[in-house]
Amino acid sequence: MDVQGLQMTQNHPSPGVFKRNPPIVGEAEAIEAAKNGDAQAFSKLYALHKRRVYTLTLRMLGNVSEAEDMTQEAFLHLFRKIGSFRGESAFSTWLHRLTVNLVLMHLRKKGLNLVSLEETINPSEEDAPKRDFGSRDLHLTGSVDRVALERAVASLPPGYRMVFVLHDVEGFEHNEIATMLGCSTGNSKSQLHKARLKLRELLRNPEQSTEPTGINEVAV
Amino acid sequence: MSNKEFPDFDTMTPADFEKYLPDFFANGDGHVSTDPRLQTFLSNNPDCAALVRDLEAIAEHAKSLFEPAEPSEAVWSNIQHKLRQQGSEDEDFPIPQTV
Repeated sequence: MDVQGLQMTQNHPSPGVFKRNPPIVGEAEAIEAAKNGDAQAFSKLYALHKRRVYTLTLRMLGNVSEAEDMTQEAFLHLFRKIGSFRGESAFSTWLHRLTVNLVLMHLRKKGLNLVSLEETINPSEEDAPKRDFGSRDLHLTGSVDRVALERAVASLPPGYRMVFVLHDVEGFEHNEIATMLGCSTGNSKSQLHKARLKLRELLRNPEQSTEPTGINEVAV
Repeated sequence: MSNKEFPDFDTMTPADFEKYLPDFFANGDGHVSTDPRLQTFLSNNPDCAALVRDLEAIAEHAKSLFEPAEPSEAVWSNIQHKLRQQGSEDEDFPIPQTV
């Protein structure tokens, strides 16, 4: 699995990621020990980062089973490749990028061709946000219910969810998302906007927020 | 804002606004509602202003979405199992113990 080929750089990490990922006590020692094959150090790194990695995969995939599978893959990949971590960015940032790239590869394997984002992740007409921005009576401003929003995000079409999570939740910039997904920054902006419009629609009509949208439901 | 050419802020139509809204968000630190150039337009177009407020609220609340979750214990068991399999092929490969 060639994660390196997916722009897993250690340079220019998102400032937001750094803010949320301060150094962890004992982490540096565990990393060095793990590089030397210390099995206990791997256990410690898993314990330190399992929640962060799992939460990220859950956000991106919206599915517990797939999220656990990708968490497993992320740590297996980490354990095999930790020798290539050079410390040029925070370890958590590096692991975050590694995980994002693994999820994107997973989605590509499942048929979501993120390389040609413009053509492939646009949802079907049914899933697309309605162009009714002039409607009133929104009941949203200042009172977005977190649980309802999480449910709405989980029911977004995968392409919308991916860009929304990467930008609004994870704090990546559009140019970073464009690099990761292999699309234009303009397309990233457009997808984000459509995702927010769709969320607004879902929050106004909660009955539309059903089970997470599976990858196979993406119109291609 | 970016180099992208925007319509005249005082004379643009709601359709123009809708067309350029993704760029307004992308280039205005996510705070379209406080962009001084858009104040006249938004005050004259309450539906557009409501849309902006909603989208800003969604973006703002997104930051606090998803409390950290815990993977099941099976994940770590599977990792150990796979590493043992790999370790049997490569004696130098470390086998992590329980967390």
